[in-house]
Amino acid sequence: MALLEVKNVKKIYTTRFGGSQVEALRNVSFSVEPGEYVAIMGESGSGKTTLLNILAGLDRPTAGRVYLKGNDLARVKEKEMAAFRRQNLGFVFQDFNLLDTFSLRDNIFLPLVLSGKKYPEMECRLEPVAAKLGIAGILGKYPYEVSGGQKQRAAVARAVITRPQLILADEPTGALDSRASDELLRMFAQLNRDGQTILMVTHSVKAASTAGRVLFIKDGEVFHQLYRGSLANEQLYQKISDTLTVLATGGERR
Amino acid sequence: MSSRIYARLAVTNIRNNKKTYVPFLLTSVLTVMMYYIMDSLARSRDIGNQNVTTILMLALGILILFSVIFLFYTNSFLIKRRKKELAVYNILGMGKGHIAKMLTVETLLIGASSMALGILGGLVFGRLMHLVLLRLLRHDIGITFRVSGISMVYTVLLFAGIFFLIWLYNLFQVRLASPAELLQGSAAGEREPKTKRILALAGLAALGTGYYLAVVTDNPLEALNTFFVAALLVVIGTYAIFLAGSIAILKALRRRKSFYYKPNHFTVVSGMIYRMKQNAVGLANICILSTMVLVMISTTVSLYAGMDSIMDKRFPYDFGVRVYGTDARAQVDAIVEEELSARGVEEEDGIAYRYGGGAFIRQDARTFTSQASVDYTADGVWEMYFIPLEDYRALENDPTPLAAGQVIVYSAGAPYGENAISVEGQEFQVAKEVRQFKAGARETGDDVTDRLYVVMPDEASILDLGAVNASYGYVRYFDMSGTKADCEDAVWALADRIQAEVPGSLCENRLLSEESFFELYGSLFFIGLYLGIMFLMATVLIIYYKQVSEGFDDRERYRILRKVGMGMREIRRSVRSQVLLVFFLPLLMAVLHVAVAFNVVNKLLVMMNFTDTKLFMGCTAATVLFFALLYAAVFAVTARQYCQIVNE
Repeated sequence: MALLEVKNVKKIYTTRFGGSQVEALRNVSFSVEPGEYVAIMGESGSGKTTLLNILAGLDRPTAGRVYLKGNDLARVKEKEMAAFRRQNLGFVFQDFNLLDTFSLRDNIFLPLVLSGKKYPEMECRLEPVAAKLGIAGILGKYPYEVSGGQKQRAAVARAVITRPQLILADEPTGALDSRASDELLRMFAQLNRDGQTILMVTHSVKAASTAGRVLFIKDGEVFHQLYRGSLANEQLYQKISDTLTVLATGGERR
Repeated sequence: MSSRIYARLAVTNIRNNKKTYVPFLLTSVLTVMMYYIMDSLARSRDIGNQNVTTILMLALGILILFSVIFLFYTNSFLIKRRKKELAVYNILGMGKGHIAKMLTVETLLIGASSMALGILGGLVFGRLMHLVLLRLLRHDIGITFRVSGISMVYTVLLFAGIFFLIWLYNLFQVRLASPAELLQGSAAGEREPKTKRILALAGLAALGTGYYLAVVTDNPLEALNTFFVAALLVVIGTYAIFLAGSIAILKALRRRKSFYYKPNHFTVVSGMIYRMKQNAVGLANICILSTMVLVMISTTVSLYAGMDSIMDKRFPYDFGVRVYGTDARAQVDAIVEEELSARGVEEEDGIAYRYGGGAFIRQDARTFTSQASVDYTADGVWEMYFIPLEDYRALENDPTPLAAGQVIVYSAGAPYGENAISVEGQEFQVAKEVRQFKAGARETGDDVTDRLYVVMPDEASILDLGAVNASYGYVRYFDMSGTKADCEDAVWALADRIQAEVPGSLCENRLLSEESFFELYGSLFFIGLYLGIMFLMATVLIIYYKQVSEGFDDRERYRILRKVGMGMREIRRSVRSQVLLVFFLPLLMAVLHVAVAFNVVNKLLVMMNFTDTKLFMGCTAATVLFFALLYAAVFAVTARQYCQIVNE
């Protein structure tokens, strides 16, 4: 059974006074199998963020269904949504979304605290995660005291510490320099090899080329998809670039 | 750029920032209005009494100080919020000179409209306030309220000055900062504050000392000095504790892992630590202002409500007369008999005696010495009255004989208890100590000092002491029975005649002093309420600004929390407990201050002949309750605002 199933999702935004309507997603369908590493690509305004918000349960689709492990997200009650998201999803954002009020350790603990976990258990969970992400030495520091790469690694630690079914990453390399980006992508690949399912939205070809599968969204629809197969990162990079060129120059639909 | 553009920009800016500017405008209008009214009252010629004018002038001084600090403080809130906007203008190519011009127009607009509206409001409500004041003073002379040109001039001058200062401050802020700094303006100061242990301890020490002083004071005369010292210490302590103590406590809470890592505490504690640096001063301000409001209103209300009993205490007899020297004794008696019988008014419970008295220091158990200048705040000050035996016998029908060197004593407080007494180096043997004495039965003075009555064998032995010669004289007190009109008539006639015919005489009567009592306590009451309302308004506004600006600061935090998996319900709960803490901490502290100050303030009231502790307690409790209710209402309104901002 697919871990995530998106079926004919449609999203229409109505402007504040009900005047004009904007179609952000027209008809999106795809699924993600357990252990997969999927990248979703598209230009600004293609509906990537809307899609991610819907997958994250932050927004509801106008039509269509989203299933996580067979659970219909639309059926989850408003009250239980926060807990549901905490238990099943991990998030990594472009701008890290770390709180300056917390040390890195407390930032990572945040979802566990919200779930009512005991302190010793949190410590137990943190140790291996911090070691894997190479932030064990800076856990006591505050976000404003560390570099962007370190911030993003702390954010990844926060996402994985709840042992989520699925990690949703929104432009995770968007605010990083190339070295930090490479490092982060290597960690994503490592996490994926350890069995973590990842869904990443990006418009960085470099980032997408580390994924196992790349979906292209244009004008609110899945336009195309590429499988890594046995390709190396560089080869996948080339294929993605070609696809993007076709997309940009208005090539024929599949 | 043409000046038109500046005007248009200024108006747009104010409109865009209306969530913060409307309350500011409202405050400055009200401040101008309150000032104008007070100024015109203080300068009003209809209130002829010097006491009232002095009190009003004092209040005016407080108002000036308050207006400057308060408007300045609220403005700093505003300009901090707007730094980012100004930076954007700067980056988009407006020079600092242009920004300065824009700010100038804004300040002009706000200042001019505040003054215009404030004075207008002052004209409307001034009449009302005038009536209220005169009503409280129980003046019922028909009085017309005049538009006071001079007050208008003063008001305009004062507030033009204040707005000039504000303008300078704002320009200085803009000039100092680079666009990059301006952009970060409202995000600045967001690092975790350091624990200032020494400051926290110093604050605790100051508060403790202040509290200690307030609690142990039992001498009303000392209370006056103590009160100011204690108040100062408490103010310092409050600031220090809010600044450093709060952070120390929060950090201690954070160190307790089992407490800290709970959904309800986690975000609240960390969020509070984080912004306590800016919060602390505001919270301390609220606390101090609240305390001031509570003390001021409760005392002045008590005084006004207790005025009758104060006067009963101050004037225990219907009529009293005191003359210096004993020559006019017969003359006074004659006038009293004549005037009373002329109106058919009977004398009742009268007492009359000669005495000399003064303040003495009790050096040891039985030694008293007079001093040229007595420090009343020193320990062991006694008021002593020396009465000749002849007059004592007439009062008490006590035939106890006194040989030379013997005295009879009566102590108004605890018994004297010694068998000898030394006054000014002369030794006397105490022949008898009485527990009842008409001359001291109805307290004619205050309860401030201990009183000792000493009956001497004769007049010569009293004068021989040397210390009380200047005050030696004759007093006569009595009640009257007859119709009310006749009695009042007699009082006026007696006072007129005695004062005209007997030099060095002093008449005491409720009627004679009632007016000045009403003037004193009425104007205190008026000022208490007036300034109370003023401070209350300030408290409300500070709270409002705090909530709004915190809401803006917290918005980002809660957006992230929501993304990371905090539900709306949890957010709401966390918001509520944080706001509740921030809100009620100062109130709790203020109530504590008031509770501790109760003793010393009560002692101060004794100085004003107010001894009804129960009434004072009731007034304080009512004031606190009323204030707490109002506070809760403000809380409800601003908390909603806060939630709206956070969830936007």
